[in-house]
Amino acid sequence: MIRSVIRSFIPIFIFLVVWQLVAFMVSAFRGVPFPTPWATFMKLTALLGGQTLSDHTLYRHLADSIVRWLAGFVMAAIAGVVYGLFAGWWHPLESATYSIIHILQLIPGLAWIPVAILIFGIGETATVFMITMTAFPPVAINVLNGVKRLDTTFVRAAQMMGAGQMTMLFRVLLPGAMPSIISGLRIGLGSGWRVLVAAEMIVGAGTGLGYSIIQARWTLDYASAFACLCVICVIGLLIEHLVFNPLEKRTVERWSLQREE
Amino acid sequence: MMIRLENVSKWYLNNGKRSEPVLYDLSLTIPDRQFACILGPSGCGKTTLLNLVAGFITPSRGHVFFDDKRIEGPGPERGVVFQDANLFPWLTVRKNVEFALRLRGVDHNTMRDTAGKYLDLVGMASYEDAFPHTLSGGMRQRTAISRVLALEPKALLMDEPFSSLDANAREHLQDELLKIWQHRQRTLIYITHSVEEAAYLADRVIVMGPSPQSIRRDMLVQSARPRKRSSEEMRNITATLRVALDSLPCCV
Repeated sequence: MIRSVIRSFIPIFIFLVVWQLVAFMVSAFRGVPFPTPWATFMKLTALLGGQTLSDHTLYRHLADSIVRWLAGFVMAAIAGVVYGLFAGWWHPLESATYSIIHILQLIPGLAWIPVAILIFGIGETATVFMITMTAFPPVAINVLNGVKRLDTTFVRAAQMMGAGQMTMLFRVLLPGAMPSIISGLRIGLGSGWRVLVAAEMIVGAGTGLGYSIIQARWTLDYASAFACLCVICVIGLLIEHLVFNPLEKRTVERWSLQREE
Repeated sequence: MMIRLENVSKWYLNNGKRSEPVLYDLSLTIPDRQFACILGPSGCGKTTLLNLVAGFITPSRGHVFFDDKRIEGPGPERGVVFQDANLFPWLTVRKNVEFALRLRGVDHNTMRDTAGKYLDLVGMASYEDAFPHTLSGGMRQRTAISRVLALEPKALLMDEPFSSLDANAREHLQDELLKIWQHRQRTLIYITHSVEEAAYLADRVIVMGPSPQSIRRDMLVQSARPRKRSSEEMRNITATLRVALDSLPCCV
């Protein structure tokens, strides 16, 4: 137990050492102050204590980012799962649309900026749109492939027992494709988060972690920018440990389905 | 007449090209309540025959009838037990059995009672909350049988159901299957490549070989039940079947 705790701290320790070294070298050779881990930590404590950043508290920025992110991700997840199930089950839909989804996947999230601004103007909706467009393709493709790779004898067994289309889709294909669905959601959530932070830097609505980072740069408040980066990392880790790991334990591991890499 | 195949041929398409027919001009009638074993080496179309009757695939030529109605697709009146049990891994033993019942729209209490009854019949009642991957192959196959029995099908179709089990478990399950079948007789098609299994279980053994001549031997086994695996009579029957099998070209 203690050993595993120590082991999980090793990567963090290595990361902090490298960071400290980089900070030291940048300060020494380029003569500009580079926030050290300690300075960042102090700043983060101050921000968590209620110090404002770009006119708002850190909590406000964080909450706004998360709301945008979830709004975009939930839409992408629902659309992706529904599309993947139907297209995996009904081949004509797949052959008619698969190349579109595949092309969407090749578009980097930030490339949606002009499209988002043209359709929605600058603001919340544009950011949410970008997240949805970025998170949708990986979810859709993973679900589709998971459904197609499902053992045909499960489908046959369900048909033999008299399953109709809806039973087949939601009570056979959906649980059967769960390993792929989880990995699709995981990728979608991650790419949504990345594009959110980047989108806030550009489309920005005056709040959010991405907006704070870019504002901190203008005011040369690099420690705050680094503190925001730390918050972003922590959010990512929390999602992994509080959402995906339990979800996986309750489904894939409990059913002993193969986990996909 | 229960199950009837009329001049059935089946071939598959590979990149738009027809394969050699797996079954060619096969006609076969299996009457009500008969326990029919289909015996043959691998690759001679036994499973294709079963899939046609189950309705998973359609014949390229000819027709398959069930109770004088053309088979259009799979349905609960023809229950299938697959080679690898094939339970839904995301459902417990009990939920796997209830899955079928729920689709028939029975109310909750009847569903619980019926599932319990059939789990009890195959000796799986005490494992009802287990997930399939925690069970042995034999237990999974028992559950698969109770799932199919719960459908109360008119015919049972079994595709080498016990072939992956060890000899002991296999003989045990064969006896239980016979007990269940004798308790409530219904048409049963049982695919196997084991001569002993066919001789011990069946009313009738149909020996299949590679197409174009799919049916090589069609033999009634009139030995009374319960049969003894080691009896003289069983040895004679297996010897006759083995002669029929040995005359076939090897499908490998």
